[in-house]
Amino acid sequence: MKVGAREYSLWTIAIALVLIFALVPVLWLLSISLKPASEVADGRIIPSTFSLENYKSLFEGGWSASPFLHPLVNSIAIALITTVIAIVLASFTAYAIARLEFPGKRIILAGALAIAMFPPISTVGPLFDMWRAFGIYDTYLGLIIPYLTFSLPLAVYVLVAFFREIPWDLEQAAQVDGATPWQAFRKVILPLAAPGVFTAAILVFIFCWNDFVYAISLTSSDNSRTVPAALAFFTGESTFTEPTGSIAAAAIVVTIPIIVFVLIFQRRIVSGLTAGAVKG
Amino acid sequence: MSSRTKSERKLAWLLCAPAVIVMLAVTAYPILYAFVLSLQKLDLRFPEQTEFIGLANYGTVLSAELWWLDVWNTVVIMVISVAIELVLGMLIALVMHRAIFGRGAVRTVVLIPYGIITVVAAFAWQFAFASETGFVDNLPLIADEKNWFGGHISSLAVIIMAEIWKTTPFMALLLLAGLVTIPDELYEAARVDGASAWQRFVKITLPLMKPAILVAVLFRTLEASRVFDSIFIMTRGAQNTESVSILGFNQLINRLNLGLGSAISVLIFVGVVLIAFVFIKGFGVKVEEGRPGG
Amino acid sequence: MLASALAGVVLSACGGSSSGPPQLTFFVAIQPGGTIEATAERCTQEAHGKYSIKPELLPNDASQAREQLVRRLGAKDSSIDIIGLDVILTSEFANAGWIAPWTGRQKVEASKNVFPSVLKTASFEGELYASPFNTNTQVLWYRKDLVPKPPETWDQMIKVAEELPEAGQIQVQAERYEGYTVWVNALIESAGTSILSGPEEVELEQRPTEEALEVIGRLAHSSAASPELPTSNEDSARLAFEAGKAAFMTNYTFAFASAKENAPEINENMGAAPFPRVNSNPAKPPLGGFNLAVSAYSGHQQQAFEAALCLSGEESELTAVELDGLPPSHENLYTNPVVGKAFPGFAGLVREEVEAAGPRPVTPAYQDVTSAIQRALHPPESIPAEGVEGKYDELKEDLEQAVKREGLL
Repeated sequence: MKVGAREYSLWTIAIALVLIFALVPVLWLLSISLKPASEVADGRIIPSTFSLENYKSLFEGGWSASPFLHPLVNSIAIALITTVIAIVLASFTAYAIARLEFPGKRIILAGALAIAMFPPISTVGPLFDMWRAFGIYDTYLGLIIPYLTFSLPLAVYVLVAFFREIPWDLEQAAQVDGATPWQAFRKVILPLAAPGVFTAAILVFIFCWNDFVYAISLTSSDNSRTVPAALAFFTGESTFTEPTGSIAAAAIVVTIPIIVFVLIFQRRIVSGLTAGAVKG
Repeated sequence: MSSRTKSERKLAWLLCAPAVIVMLAVTAYPILYAFVLSLQKLDLRFPEQTEFIGLANYGTVLSAELWWLDVWNTVVIMVISVAIELVLGMLIALVMHRAIFGRGAVRTVVLIPYGIITVVAAFAWQFAFASETGFVDNLPLIADEKNWFGGHISSLAVIIMAEIWKTTPFMALLLLAGLVTIPDELYEAARVDGASAWQRFVKITLPLMKPAILVAVLFRTLEASRVFDSIFIMTRGAQNTESVSILGFNQLINRLNLGLGSAISVLIFVGVVLIAFVFIKGFGVKVEEGRPGG
Repeated sequence: MLASALAGVVLSACGGSSSGPPQLTFFVAIQPGGTIEATAERCTQEAHGKYSIKPELLPNDASQAREQLVRRLGAKDSSIDIIGLDVILTSEFANAGWIAPWTGRQKVEASKNVFPSVLKTASFEGELYASPFNTNTQVLWYRKDLVPKPPETWDQMIKVAEELPEAGQIQVQAERYEGYTVWVNALIESAGTSILSGPEEVELEQRPTEEALEVIGRLAHSSAASPELPTSNEDSARLAFEAGKAAFMTNYTFAFASAKENAPEINENMGAAPFPRVNSNPAKPPLGGFNLAVSAYSGHQQQAFEAALCLSGEESELTAVELDGLPPSHENLYTNPVVGKAFPGFAGLVREEVEAAGPRPVTPAYQDVTSAIQRALHPPESIPAEGVEGKYDELKEDLEQAVKREGLL
């Protein structure tokens, strides 16, 4: 097909628009985060002086006094633990659904989907009350449990989609060729299943990383508060000044890893998102 | 039933049991508990005054002007953002599918909003529009000194924009998945018959994509109905931009009025179930097998 | 990094163990000048090993700070010992049984030389529940180079501002947040009535309340109002004033030091005048600040009372005024040169303003009351410049419901 100059420039414009649309807020945060306190309100798109003051303020005082390190570690730890639990439990279920015949299969899948769509505000009140009674208010566990409400169904969903594509016959073929069941699983099935598991893990991690409703309702201190909640409760220079600069800097710090992640794994993420929802 | 199928069933149920039990424990139990709480007068600041009051909390909520105002706001945000996302998402999906170059770049960049924390995105837009820190007021074509968060319509517009920015990529990817299933031969045949690009889009793309569109719209509608993060960060509900989720949060966590708050929780839950029911029964969306119907 | 993180968790867990002197956690809003850290350190030293004090900093937004405390105390969290309590929260926290009353010698020491208006904010049903730490009040800041003589009433001020060449000359706090309640309450008190007459009784005499609402309405519909009015807070007001966009601003004392640092040329012409009146009644400026309370769930209450006494003592207040410009709650300190240096030329004014101040409503349902006020009266443009009966009825009705903690808010 011949590409005309007109078509070429149209595509350039379309692609440029998409890029601008996606990147503007991130660039704006970056710009604000680099402005010194006296220039935060100048409205300039490119800072007139560049300053790392806001980034320094995030880590000032080290582990004990930094307003940001605890939440960052909490966010990473809580999201990772939840991801591991969700992926392990969901793998069993997804394997059964993809490979075995049993009644109730459809109900489990439909139920998982329904639960994934659950509004968090509907469970936050009862959880608040229960966690007070159980003494797990403001702990890792107190967030991991509600995070399973959305991460488990999501993981089940994505994994089922991937597991269905795996040619399971290869396992038997390997066993016929003399491999033990464990060898067959390790050498044949595991490499085939790994990409799907990895994709599901990325998606689950992003979901946990993003949560705000549970994080602000069920935590109260550095013990377990995660980054989104910490950002909302950041403190400014004084009782009456707003912490615009440090919020922007913190936002950039937590956004850069995600951008790197997306750059590296974009194919995986796309296939995970679309497989789970449509391809089946 | 052969013993083999029997043992296969047993194994399957055993494998599913942990996830199923956990899913029920973390959702069904709290929802039932929310229902129990909603039948009580229960304010944690006044614990000694707790009593069973039947459905009175539901009466209070449903007769309050505020509830219906917030329902309306939620519906407005939901409908407008999903509608615009559908159009934009379709355009981006077409760009990703048909672009003659730069597909990878578009796909990567489009995923950035998806990966960014909603709260972070909300702050970014707030800082961009706020009169003190923002740059939007300095752009050409914008009337100067406009206070975006000072009016109902403009605040709502910024909130909706933030929602659209954050979730259009998801919509685009779902649509792209539908788009790639359409065989190229159909387009070729239409082209030979002299159909214009627009005719091809309306006659081929849209009908064949109906299932994918319905699934995407259902997902996003349900998600949009819980809108919370952006509003909390940008206005905290001022200028009548409150959603039902913010209202629930205010009663539950701010006032510690667990009775009233739980009634709102249960009503939101019922609302979500209704939306899903309408889509599945009314439009014939088949999501349970992961494959759109039709 | 993770390893050191884990080590930190283990260490902090050890800090709370029973061996050795107890570590008292002190939850309080952040003060950038370092008051909190400095006083906590001094009081730890003065305790000679009886206890140590570890500050936990809360957000600067009053409602957000409250939310955090309420969630912890609502969950009967024992890791919280001393609380820096915003003046409006005493009755709610006392009524819920979250903070312990002060008695005996400690009560006498905590109330000595404290302004009566401030002491009221630390009391509930005749008991003292907190030891006043700092107070705060608003004055009228104005530009001496633009306005020769400061106006005495809101009407005068609006008129003067309207005649100035640039529009948007008056900065107040009218975002939908606690600061709006502060302003509304000060206007209603100044007009000669009060929002509540008791924990569950709405007062709001009609004529004075309407006069107060008319001030808001008139400003909102005037060219004197800043375009940011419905989203203005202490910080945006300060920024506008420092940028030279305003001739008038009602704001706390921090605005002076802030302008000195960020906009010295504005600061040179910055005058302080009494909070404007609404009608012929004397003005009743806002009253802010923090009182120190001891958590009812603290495992070390006796030590906590002693520590709170030290943290809120005269020496600590002098540190607070020196490092962070926070007005002391002890009357006798206003002649101290440290205070004079922090409030050059307006220390006496601050003292008079605190004495005259009209505290916000005292009720355990404060959160409901303030939400109702904000909902009924926000945005300020919703109040007409004249004929505010409708708004008055709406406000009164909403408040009647709020004091009973009914309805949605």
